[in-house]
Amino acid sequence: MDANEIGLFSLADKRLAYLDQRQILLAKDIANASTPNWREQDLKPFAAAIGSFSDAGEPVQTNPMHLAGTSGGVAQQDRMLRPAEKAPDGNAVSLQDDMVKMSGNDEAHELVTDLYKSYLGMFGTAFGRS
Amino acid sequence: MDLDRALDISARGMDVQSTRLRVIAENLANQQSMGSTPGANPYRRKTISFANTMDRQLGVDTVSVKQIGSDSAEFPLKFDPSNPAADAKGYVKTPNVNSFVEVMDMRDAQQSYNANLQVLSTTRGMLTRTIEMLK
Repeated sequence: MDANEIGLFSLADKRLAYLDQRQILLAKDIANASTPNWREQDLKPFAAAIGSFSDAGEPVQTNPMHLAGTSGGVAQQDRMLRPAEKAPDGNAVSLQDDMVKMSGNDEAHELVTDLYKSYLGMFGTAFGRS
Repeated sequence: MDLDRALDISARGMDVQSTRLRVIAENLANQQSMGSTPGANPYRRKTISFANTMDRQLGVDTVSVKQIGSDSAEFPLKFDPSNPAADAKGYVKTPNVNSFVEVMDMRDAQQSYNANLQVLSTTRGMLTRTIEMLK
């Protein structure tokens, strides 16, 4: 049996992939805190992104030799139309906002891994291993 | 793995911020570097700018130093006839380095460096937790 057929495992899988991708974007934002004309990037909220995980008209990579595409991952990027403030050089990164987002990301990651582990522990119990 | 890329991006961010600190250190150290012949130009302030470029080795776009340029601002003149670099009227060109600007820049660089470091440790925590799922 495929573990991903079990609802919670596949959900955890998607959530972790989403959090990984978001962490990369946040790392990029913070690394570019002094790059002129840099606009903040973020993903659409997970609830909105989860719809795009199913095959809702998304191009699918059918061959590992093909290019992965520009979005590079599972969820689509959210477009930040109006940054709250901009430096004179056009940089719109707010370090504190990114830090808050990142700690949220970290917490969510911890929650998912903990849930995954305890769910797996329940399987162990069901199979008679304590 | 995806999170490895986040680590690479943060490491590169720290790298460019330390280059920035090096430029600031050069500017501050040369704050009094005048010319040695009459009317000669003193030390010219260096500037640094960043850009986000594709790193083919890492396969991800990261921040990099775009250019280390020089500040074209005029040299302030100081009246000091005994200086070897003084011109016919007794004025010496002094470096166009403003220590206040450099110190503020240094703070900014330090802040960005710390932020990158924070990202690095958070990403590392996420990686460790993912690996611990195996246990």
